[in-house]
Amino acid sequence: MFSKKEEKINYTVEKCMSCNNMTTRKFKTGDFLFKETSECQACKGKILIEKIFAETIKA
Amino acid sequence: MDFANFDVDQIFGLSDDTNPLLWLIWIIPIVIFMFYGQRIQLQITSGDIKKNIEKLKQLKEESRTGLIDYIKKELKPKADPTEKLDRFISYFTIMPVDMDPNGIIPKVRHTMRSREEYTRSQVKAIFSDIDTLEITKVQNLLEVATTLQLLYKIVNHLFLTAKKQNNYPLILPLQMMLPFIMEEADALKGAIPALKHGQPIGDGIGPMVVGKMMLGTEKQKVAFETVWSQTEHEGRKLYLLKAEGPLATVGRPGDGVEHIVSQYKPDAIIMIDAAVKLEGEDSATVAQGFGAAIGGIGTDRFQIEEIATKNNIPIFAIVIKQSIKEAVATMTKEIADKADETRSQLYEMIAEHTKPGQSILVVGVGNTLGVSQ
Repeated sequence: MFSKKEEKINYTVEKCMSCNNMTTRKFKTGDFLFKETSECQACKGKILIEKIFAETIKA
Repeated sequence: MDFANFDVDQIFGLSDDTNPLLWLIWIIPIVIFMFYGQRIQLQITSGDIKKNIEKLKQLKEESRTGLIDYIKKELKPKADPTEKLDRFISYFTIMPVDMDPNGIIPKVRHTMRSREEYTRSQVKAIFSDIDTLEITKVQNLLEVATTLQLLYKIVNHLFLTAKKQNNYPLILPLQMMLPFIMEEADALKGAIPALKHGQPIGDGIGPMVVGKMMLGTEKQKVAFETVWSQTEHEGRKLYLLKAEGPLATVGRPGDGVEHIVSQYKPDAIIMIDAAVKLEGEDSATVAQGFGAAIGGIGTDRFQIEEIATKNNIPIFAIVIKQSIKEAVATMTKEIADKADETRSQLYEMIAEHTKPGQSILVVGVGNTLGVSQ
């Protein structure tokens, strides 16, 4: 009766393979683990997807 | 009658043990429960079971329509696939006779693989152009819809049989099993979004750990939808094996292990897999042990155990505990965060159980959806 509705938000964590800089963003279709996504702005290293996970929030 | 002088004690016989009204109040329910007790219990239990059957029906319908909508909207089939998909969802598998269990494993493997191959070819035939990732996703979604349909049919059958026979004891096993069945059904429902979006699921933690170790190495196909590569760690040769990501598949680890063991004779096998946690255990805890850590119907485990025994190779296991729901839904943050710790434990295990110069086969077991290498 008093239970709140749960909502899942999916995140993608990207990591630079050279400077280990990590950023988290919302998951986009087509993302998969260890996919090379872009070049690091800071050190021009390869950025790979390190983690994809879902977090449950109560709305 | 003198209503002004109303005596409650007299009416209910509170002052007299032999009052017939009080006697009736006690004896009637006893008689009713003696003759109709089971029927009353059946009615009460039925209400609860009916609610769950309705929920199962809803889940079954949602998974079916979800699959059809996904195919129509995202994959553009040649023609309307509804009729074909309904036929696939109703498919059943007759397991081999087990009266004489000797030699049953190859028969089970053959039956399951025949089913898989047939479904794959039928799914392919729906589309003029479809990639392997989408085929595996549709296969998994079909598996979810088929399982939910089967659960609904079995529960409904048991319920209706008990009702038809007016047999209360017949409904008891169903009442006991129903919470577990509903847990599995809810878990399957949770798997649908992950499968549609191609996200790693909790079961993919094993492939995630091994997949990262495979980065930058030369990957080779070792069995159907299964890849392996070689790397080195502290003077030891590591053979890394996992299902081919990011497909929604568990690959054929049994065939892969058999091939690598026969070719390279590793000194140890370490298997990393997700394991269902016990009630009271924390989710995403990492545990170590012995034996082949692999679920499924048992054919791959049998194959791995047999080849390891024949070659006298010890099998070690690292498992990441999680609930059934977590194992099939999109990976939780807690589980994803354990990948590095699991890898550290793997390296510790290698250092403890092997010497430099030896070789180890590391197998990442589980569905590798959304996990490349």
